[in-house]
Amino acid sequence: MFGFHYRLERKTIPFVLAIIGAASIGGFVEIAPLFTIHQTVESAPNMRVYTPLELAGRNIYIREGCYACHSQMIRTLRDDVERYGHYSLAVESKYDHPMLWGSKRTGPDLARIGGKYSDAWHVIHLNNPRDVVPESVMPAYTWLKRTELRTADLRLHLKALREVGVPYTDDMIANAPADAYGQANPGTPLADGVIKRYGETTDVNAFDGSPGNVTEMDALVAYLQILGRLTDVASNGPAAGAAEP
Amino acid sequence: MTFIAHDTLVWLSKSIGLFYLLILSAAVVVYAYWPANRKSFERAAKSIIEGEDRPWG
Amino acid sequence: MAQLTRTERQIALALFVGLAVAGLLMVAGGRADPLGLHGALILGVAVFGSFGIISKYYEPLPGADRLREYYDDPSKFGVVAAMVWVAFGLFMGDWVAWLLVNPDLTFDAAWSSFGRIRPVHTTSVIFGFGGNALIATSFYVMQRTSRARLPDQLSPWFVLLGYNLFCILAVTGYMLGITQSREYAEPEWYADIWLVVVWIVYFVTYLRTLARRKEPHIYVSNWYYLAFILVVAMLHIVNNLAVPVSLGHAKSYSLFSGVQDAMTEWWYGHNAVAFFLTSGFLGMMYYFMPKRAGRPIFSYRLSIISFWGITFFYIWVGSHHLHYTALPQWVQTLGMTFSVLLLVPSWASAGNALLTLNGAWHKVRDDATLRFMMIAAVFYGLTTFEGSFMAIRPVNSLSHYTDWTIGHVHAGALGWVAMITFGSIYASVPWLWKRDAMYSARLVEVHFWLALAGTIVYVFAMWNSGIVQGLMWRTYNESGTLTYSFVDSLIAMHPYYIARAVGGLLFLIGALVGCYNMYMTIRAAPQRKRLASTSDMPAAVPAIAPAE
Repeated sequence: MFGFHYRLERKTIPFVLAIIGAASIGGFVEIAPLFTIHQTVESAPNMRVYTPLELAGRNIYIREGCYACHSQMIRTLRDDVERYGHYSLAVESKYDHPMLWGSKRTGPDLARIGGKYSDAWHVIHLNNPRDVVPESVMPAYTWLKRTELRTADLRLHLKALREVGVPYTDDMIANAPADAYGQANPGTPLADGVIKRYGETTDVNAFDGSPGNVTEMDALVAYLQILGRLTDVASNGPAAGAAEP
Repeated sequence: MTFIAHDTLVWLSKSIGLFYLLILSAAVVVYAYWPANRKSFERAAKSIIEGEDRPWG
Repeated sequence: MAQLTRTERQIALALFVGLAVAGLLMVAGGRADPLGLHGALILGVAVFGSFGIISKYYEPLPGADRLREYYDDPSKFGVVAAMVWVAFGLFMGDWVAWLLVNPDLTFDAAWSSFGRIRPVHTTSVIFGFGGNALIATSFYVMQRTSRARLPDQLSPWFVLLGYNLFCILAVTGYMLGITQSREYAEPEWYADIWLVVVWIVYFVTYLRTLARRKEPHIYVSNWYYLAFILVVAMLHIVNNLAVPVSLGHAKSYSLFSGVQDAMTEWWYGHNAVAFFLTSGFLGMMYYFMPKRAGRPIFSYRLSIISFWGITFFYIWVGSHHLHYTALPQWVQTLGMTFSVLLLVPSWASAGNALLTLNGAWHKVRDDATLRFMMIAAVFYGLTTFEGSFMAIRPVNSLSHYTDWTIGHVHAGALGWVAMITFGSIYASVPWLWKRDAMYSARLVEVHFWLALAGTIVYVFAMWNSGIVQGLMWRTYNESGTLTYSFVDSLIAMHPYYIARAVGGLLFLIGALVGCYNMYMTIRAAPQRKRLASTSDMPAAVPAIAPAE
C-alpha cells in the first residue's frame, strides 16, 4: 500500500495521472448522463429555431453582457413562478448555444419577458431605462438605435449553429440576410419569406419604430420579444404548478 | 451517446460515484497515517526551512 | 535577456516572427470583424518583441556560473505584472461598483457599460493578478523545493509573456464586445487556443524542473500547483469547445446547449474557484507561511489528506449553482452533498495553517506580512463554511441570484486570495531582489489595515443587501400576493451599493500603497552586497554549502 504511494509521489508521471483520475470522474459522472437526458425530459415538437434577426439580437445581448445582471431561468419556487411565470423547462433552451441562464438578478429574470411589453416600450427603455423606470440602474444603450445591423455574414452564423446541432435548413441558411431584413420590415416581399420559413406566429415588425432599415435595436427587441415563446410546451404541457419553496 | 439508456447511465454514475468516494478516502487516510511514512513527511515539512538558497549541484 | 543563450535568443526571435505572421493573418482574415483589431494588437506586440530581441542580440552571452543560481527573473516579472493587474482590476471593479450607484458613469460609451467592464474586472483580478502571482510564485517555489534551477531560460518567459498576452486579448476583447458569455471563461476561441499552448509549455516546464530535482520528496506545495495546472487545463479545454463562425470571425458557438451547457459551464466555473483560486493559492500558503514564520507546517499528513480531499470533492460541486433549475434533481443533490463534505478538507487546510502559527503569535503581532497570511487562512475557513452552507438547497433558494453570492465571492477573493497573495509577495520581494526588507514596514501595516477594513465593509454590505433582497422577493402579504415589486428591492439596495463601493475603494487604495512600497523597494539599491553563499532569508539559518 504505502510502497505504491511512495513510488507515486517520487515519480511525477503517475502522480499526474492520479490527479487527473481523482479530478475527472466527478465531472464525468455528473455531465455524461445529461447527454442522454432527451430520453427522459419533455419534448417540444413544435419548437422553432431563432430567426436570423433574433439570433443577431441574441448575439448583441451576449456582446453587451446582459447575462451579468439578468437571469433566464425561472426556478421551481413559488415566488419565482408567481413573479416571472411558469418555471423554465430544460427543453426551452435546447437551441441556446451557449445557454444564458445567468447567475445574478441585479435586474429581473427575462426567461418569459417576450410579449409582456410593447416594442416601443423596449426601444425607449433600452435607449435610456430611466425614461420609463426612474429607479433603474441599467446602463443606457443609446448606440443600438443608430447602429446598422451587420447582416451580410448571417449565413455563416446559421451554418456554424447547424454544425453544433441546431436544425437550420439549407433554405433558412441561404436566405438569412434577407430574412433579417424582412422581419424588421413588414409589408415587403422579404417579410413573407420569414413567415414561410419560421411560421405564422413569428413577429414581423418594425421593432425600432423605423422601417426601411435594420438596426441593432431591431435585432435586440426582436430577441427580447421571443424569449419564452419559442415553444408553448410550458403553458400547454402539464399544469403549471410550483414545487414546495 | 444514444446507445446507452439514460437510466443505466444514471445508475452507473450514482453507484460508481459512491464507491469511488469511499475507496479513495480510505486510501488517502491510510497512506497519510501509515507509520513508515512518518519520517519522510517530517523531513519534507522541515525541508523548506533550510538549505535551499541555491540549486544543489 | 542577459541570461538567454544564443540558441534561446534565436528561438525567441523565431517565435516572435511566428506570432507576427499569426497577427498578420488575423488582420487579413478579420478585416470586417473585431478579430482584425486583435490581429493588429498581436502584430504590434510581436514587432515590439522582435525589436527587443534584435537590439540585445549581440549582448554578452551568459556564463556557465548562472547554473549555480536559481533563475528568478521570470518570477520578478510575474510579481510586477500581478501588482499592475491588481491595481487595474481593482480600479475597474470599483468603477463597476459605482455604476450601480450611478448608472450614468458610463459616459455614454459602449465599451464602458456595466456588462462589458464587469468581465474586465473579473478577468483582471482573477487571471491577471491571481494568474501572474501563481505562475511567479510557482516558479519560485518549485525551484527551491526541488533544489534545482529551471530547465532553460526561454520557456518560463514564454509562459509569462504568453499568459499576459492572453489576459490582454481577453480584457480588450470585452470592451470591443468580444465575449463567449461563459462566466469566467469569456475569451473567444483564438485566445482560448493560445492559452492552451501557453499552458502546455507551463506544464512541461514544471515537470522538467521536477524531473531535475535533487530533493527526492516532492514538497506538498508542488502538489497543489500541479493540480492547479492540470485541472485548469482540463476544465479550460472542455468548457471552451466551440465552433467559430469562420476563421475571420471572433465569434463562436458553444458545442453544448441548454442544460448540458449549464452543467459544463458551472462544472468549469466552480472548479475554476477550486483549482485556480484555491488549490494554487494553497500551494502558495504551504510554502510562504511556514517559511515566513520560520516553522514547519503543523501537520504534513493533514496537508496530504486535504490535498486529495480537495482534488476529488471539489469537482462534484458545480451543480450547486443550478439548484431548483431545469437540471435533474439528483445532480443538484450530488452537488449539495459534496459541497457539505468539502468542508472537511477545507477546514483541515485552514486549521493546519493557523496551527502552524501557534507558538509564533508574537511574530504575527509584529509582522504585517505574516498577519496577511493569517487573516487569509481565517477568511479561507469562513468562506468555505459559508460556501458549504449556501450550497444547501433551502439556503440557496434565498441566496441564489442575490448579492449574497457577490459577498461570498469577495470574502474569498479579497479575504483569502488577495491576502495570501499580498502576504506571499511581501515575503518574496525582498528575497527576489536581494533586499534586507521591504522599503517601509509601516506601509505594509497601512496596506494590511486598509485591505482588512475594505474587505469587511464590502462583505457586510453585500450580506445585508443579499439577504434583504432575497427576503423581499419572497415576502407575501395577507392576501397571498407578493408584497414587493422588483423595483422596490432595487431601491432598498442603494445604500448597500454605496457602502460596497466605498469598501472596494479602501481595498484599492491599500493595493496602491502596496504598489508604491514595492516600487521603492525594487528601486532602492541593495542595502548591502550579499555574498553568494548567504541565505535569502533575512533571519539567517545555517546555509548548507552546495555540493559541487
